[in-house]
Amino acid sequence: MVDLEKLKNVAKETVSREDVKYLVGWRQGTYGFRVSPHFMTKPEDADKLIFSPLCVNNLATYLTLAEKLPVPRGEEPDTRKVALMVKGCDSRAVVQQLIEKGIERDSVYVIGCPCQGVLDLEKVEEKFPGVQSPVDVQWGDDKFIINLPDGTQEVPREELLAQKCLNCRYPNPVISDVMLWEEVEAWGNGEYADVKELEAMDSQERWTFWQEKFASCIRCYACRNACPMCYCEDCVLDRLNPQWVFRSNNISENTVFHLARAFHLAGRCIECGECERVCPMGLPLMSLNRKLAKEVREKYAFEPGLDPESKPFQSSYRPDDQEDFIL
Amino acid sequence: MDSKKLTKDKFGGFVELLSKQKLYVPQMVGETLRFAPVSSKDEVDLVFSNTVVPPKSVLFPQTETLYEYEAGGTELIMPEEPEEKVLLGVRPCDARALTIVDKLFSWDIDDPYYVNKRENTTIIGLACQEPGINCFCTSLGGGPASTEGIDLLLTDLGEGYLLQPLTEKGEKLCQDAGELLVEAAGEDRQAAESLHQEAAEKIVRKIEVDTIPQKLEELWESPLWKNISDACLGCGACTFLCPTCHCFDIQDEMEGFEGRRCRVWDSCMFEEYTLHTSGHNPRPTRRERTRNRVNHKYSYFVKNFGTIACVGCGRCIDNCPVNIDILDILSQVVKEAI
Amino acid sequence: MSEQYEPNIVAFLCNWCSYAGADLAGTSRTQYPVNLNIIRVMCSGRVNPLFIINALQQGADGVLVSGCHPGDCHYMEGNFYARRRFGLMKELLEYIGVDSRRFNMSWVSASEGGKWKDVVEEVVGKAKEAGPFEQFRRNKINW
Repeated sequence: MVDLEKLKNVAKETVSREDVKYLVGWRQGTYGFRVSPHFMTKPEDADKLIFSPLCVNNLATYLTLAEKLPVPRGEEPDTRKVALMVKGCDSRAVVQQLIEKGIERDSVYVIGCPCQGVLDLEKVEEKFPGVQSPVDVQWGDDKFIINLPDGTQEVPREELLAQKCLNCRYPNPVISDVMLWEEVEAWGNGEYADVKELEAMDSQERWTFWQEKFASCIRCYACRNACPMCYCEDCVLDRLNPQWVFRSNNISENTVFHLARAFHLAGRCIECGECERVCPMGLPLMSLNRKLAKEVREKYAFEPGLDPESKPFQSSYRPDDQEDFIL
Repeated sequence: MDSKKLTKDKFGGFVELLSKQKLYVPQMVGETLRFAPVSSKDEVDLVFSNTVVPPKSVLFPQTETLYEYEAGGTELIMPEEPEEKVLLGVRPCDARALTIVDKLFSWDIDDPYYVNKRENTTIIGLACQEPGINCFCTSLGGGPASTEGIDLLLTDLGEGYLLQPLTEKGEKLCQDAGELLVEAAGEDRQAAESLHQEAAEKIVRKIEVDTIPQKLEELWESPLWKNISDACLGCGACTFLCPTCHCFDIQDEMEGFEGRRCRVWDSCMFEEYTLHTSGHNPRPTRRERTRNRVNHKYSYFVKNFGTIACVGCGRCIDNCPVNIDILDILSQVVKEAI
Repeated sequence: MSEQYEPNIVAFLCNWCSYAGADLAGTSRTQYPVNLNIIRVMCSGRVNPLFIINALQQGADGVLVSGCHPGDCHYMEGNFYARRRFGLMKELLEYIGVDSRRFNMSWVSASEGGKWKDVVEEVVGKAKEAGPFEQFRRNKINW
């Protein structure tokens, strides 16, 4: 069970260590059900730390998002570790970054938080609209305990659970330097019901579905930036020569953008659902990612983000890979 | 001209009248509410909840062709003159935002693309009765029934709308509507008045902005910016969805032998926004970029145009994936000792 | 579909096998459809998935990627990577509703001039059935 005292104590200890630069955790947001990433540099910041069903954000993004300025002459680069709080899905992002050598193992200190599934912000904000003051939410047995300003509400777990958590098979961190509390039992079976539903449509119906979605994209790139696996220094979308994707917003360029984004995550996506959560236009981006994850898992028996020693999916092969599509 | 009243049974007729020009109303496009052209009058259903994409997208589209050309040719093909447009159901905050964007696009040189469209557009506002949880328009000189930038203001009285013409365009519309409208009675005006009052009282988030422009200048090197921007992902959700953000990038696009020069929305939160050809970037990290966003709205714009480039619509707060809250930033700015 | 419709197909052929195979078909005076625009690449593993997407965007009605048979790659394993990559690409394109007949992949060795003819006939036939590609074509209508 979640032990907030222990979490704060571990955080204080960690951030006091000499080899730790800062710690990234979660804190209550400024309103309603929102939370914000919390960057701690000193022990007294620990009071703000929380871990609750609201902690949706995947903080592994911040490992590769940190911008490195050139080190002034005569100074040594800061090689201290970044401490990071991770849920099960977040920890897979860390592992995948290790697999790809995006980060080094001794550059990160992982604090594992076994997780019982987080809330779907959209669903909870729809159920309790207009809540201004920050709300505290806790896990109960098969329910969420929501402490609203006008009284506590209990809601069955299934009703508000985030989409990505419904089928979660890895609620426990797969990598950690310290585990905060005992592991929970995994509940998901990894079915791809949503993908199969779309697959059952005919080709034209699927295009009609996606056309509408892609056309409404505003190309704010929140999906790319929030993704812990999107960390290329020189993104193909920003490149001007060759310019693969024009900057103009229309169905052609938007489709290419989304194809490129999804394909770039083929065999890498750890299904943390951040792209879909952060999209201000509400595009079902996880559907694309999950389709590829399904193929990778079913046809190639591969799953990303589990074993730091494994090779990345697209830079490895098996001689007997399926080739029934080849003429 | 005096206020008029439009009963709801005549609303269809009113929409039909507006449809003579190109009519835009808030509609669901994909998964989001935004201004889109009306194809049949049945679609029109005025809603109070604010559009996710602000109405600037009609007057300052995300992608706008400046001119077209052919490979090897010397002739520029200019886009057609903009048609007459009506925007129905614009929130007062968004209409006010248009007056702010106007200042920029008619600053030293008139931007023909924007200004022509703006002149050919009639803005019909809808007084807001259900402010969102992150609205703070009253702190910035606006309000749920602010009239700035609106040609004709509607107030939903339940059984009908109160129409207040505010400009010549608005008056002309009322004249054209002629028989559809009746003179508003004194109690209608009072009812509207009290509805406006009620809505203003529902706005809970507030900030004292008077000292902010000065404070921001003094806080240029403050550690505040680092703390705020730590969590920032560097996406463009806040700026693209801001009703007053107006930055754009010019692009040349060729396909086969045809090409065009167009402008597309750009965001100061993107790394490449200030990237020089040399590789140097004067705003190298999200700290500088976040600082610029706040400073542009609350300091530079004030210096150049005498007004804050924020209307308090709350979109950047609602849509930030990591809960970077402009009110939180501003209250820290106010509190911060120099 | 009118009889006159001739699809425009972009084919990425590896230098060592498929390009030589096509060459053999040519020198053997094999008759086959002329709808292919061949782009020679050093290896099928060199083909970037964006090539496929951009070809469709910029005017292709179909795309073919062809390389050496598994085990025959001049660079030992390039075609194995390509096989994984384009197996997924095909699935992704189908998933967003692009006709599955538009994207094909084949193994054609330098000695298989006859197979090359069959592959081209099949690819062109499929593209003809699928008709002109318009879904996310970059053109003025989309501007």
